[in-house]
Amino acid sequence: MNNVIEARGLTKRYKRTVAVDNIDLEIPSGRIVGLIGPNGAGKTSALKAILGLATYEGELSVLGKNPSRDRAELMEDVCFIADVAVLPRWIRVWQLIELTEKIHPRFSREKCLQYLDSTKITLDHRVKQLSKGMVVQLHLAIVMAIDVKLLVLDEPTLGLDILFRKQFYTNLLNDYFDEERTIIITTHQVEEIEHILSDLIFIQDGRIALDCSMEEVQDSYVELIVTPDNAAAARELQPLYERELFGRHIFLYQSADREQLKNLGELHTPSVADLFVATMNGGAA
Amino acid sequence: MNRLIALLKREFWENKGAFRTTPLVIGGIYIVLALMFIITFNHFDNEFQSLKELARWVSQTDATLRGEIIYVANLALLPTLFNTVLSFVVFFYLLGSLYDDRKDRSILFWKSLPASDTLTLGSKLLSAMLVAPVIFWAIYVLTYIVIMAIFSAVVLTLGENPWTLFLGIGNPFKAWGMLLLSYLAQAIWTLPLYGWLMLVSSFAPRIPLLFAILPPVVIAILQIWIEFLQTFTLKKNLFGVIGEWFANSPFITFSVTDNEPALTLGIPLTDTFSHEVTVANMLDRLFSTQMLISLAVTAVFLGTALWLRRRATES
Repeated sequence: MNNVIEARGLTKRYKRTVAVDNIDLEIPSGRIVGLIGPNGAGKTSALKAILGLATYEGELSVLGKNPSRDRAELMEDVCFIADVAVLPRWIRVWQLIELTEKIHPRFSREKCLQYLDSTKITLDHRVKQLSKGMVVQLHLAIVMAIDVKLLVLDEPTLGLDILFRKQFYTNLLNDYFDEERTIIITTHQVEEIEHILSDLIFIQDGRIALDCSMEEVQDSYVELIVTPDNAAAARELQPLYERELFGRHIFLYQSADREQLKNLGELHTPSVADLFVATMNGGAA
Repeated sequence: MNRLIALLKREFWENKGAFRTTPLVIGGIYIVLALMFIITFNHFDNEFQSLKELARWVSQTDATLRGEIIYVANLALLPTLFNTVLSFVVFFYLLGSLYDDRKDRSILFWKSLPASDTLTLGSKLLSAMLVAPVIFWAIYVLTYIVIMAIFSAVVLTLGENPWTLFLGIGNPFKAWGMLLLSYLAQAIWTLPLYGWLMLVSSFAPRIPLLFAILPPVVIAILQIWIEFLQTFTLKKNLFGVIGEWFANSPFITFSVTDNEPALTLGIPLTDTFSHEVTVANMLDRLFSTQMLISLAVTAVFLGTALWLRRRATES
């Protein structure tokens, strides 16, 4: 089985609201997937279902296991960082390492210590003595020392400064990721992960608004920048979305004829952030 | 097994203050009191002029009686503070056991480890039933030994023989064994309470103490009220049931009834069980119908707690 995650009709209801609404999803291995959506779109609910932290309706298989029934077993092959600062505050670094080593069969103490060497964290520190950024470094050191097939990062860099954020993703990409592994990331700072993603999933109101690879994004979406004179002509060609910047009009097209567009103005590959805004406001895919 | 040991360690590390520091402090207080007794003895206004006279007087009392007094003191009097504090420690430990990590959201980390919720719950219950009592017991025994060593040294300098005076009599090993057995028997007897506390801990959105105490109080008051409305008499209600159950718990007490000092197992309110302090009587309680009902109640509480824990993420 090549798919790390397979979902059919995945639904998560809370008392009144439907957080995840009948989603079908297939994530193959060796991908870095950005799960992107506005607040309350159902990202965290979907991830909780995938991690066996919440009940759900529909079919869901993660690495061939049923997450709600076999969470403990699943966690031998899955790791997650759910938000910053979820490490227990009372614990000392050496205790955390010892516990993880005893509980996790795929944890390598050497690797973990090696990552920690490059930080200011010592084994005798308590988590509550560490700064927010250091807690994330510690958590990442633990997670990167665990040899798992799926890593889920839910807002892993929330509230950190840009230096930490850059370092975080650099470490992840250089020292951790390979073809055997799959990483799912949710974040609001789309620009920062754009260049490392291989796949993109937009989620809106509990539904998937877009699910494609980054190559597909480059192939099928194009952004056209025109002067006001050409705006009307560009509007004729059924853009997904239009916005104005410094007096120029920017149009986003899906599967458009590039030759035709070229005559009207400059062509660009849209950024994920622009594509996201367009999708959320207009409805692509 | 390795995982269970790791989880037990985690509970110990997290609760080091309650599980280890607290009994050490109590032991320290005992030792300081013993030293103060020795140092200030000569300043007390009493019938003995000096420790030497006291030691001589003690040596002339009946050895059998002295042995019995030492045994009772070792088994029931000296451990009192340890017993009381232990029950508070266990109570609040269990009340926070499935609540604290939901509150500080570290449950999201614990759940990212491949340890099942059943194992986690088990490690917490085992910490309350076994780890905490055994640590308290060991530190009590250690305290007793230190105090006896101090007394022996003092008595030796006074020219008396500590062995015949108190060391060789009173069978300390039997007292310690009975005390430990009583701790463990109590832990089993008290299972419904432990189950209830863990259940509350797993669902309380905040202030678990309130959720632990309020429902039984409300139920008991309703019972008393309805009962009274119907019959204008007061019969057994939840308070009564809990009170009787608690009184029958196999803990060792020293009490004076009808001017007769006595060692009793539990509080002799009813004669459902014999209150003589013997291992057989402890076992009698643990293999009784009451215990069977208690286990059924515990299973419901713990089962619900586990069900909630499996669904819990953060509060």
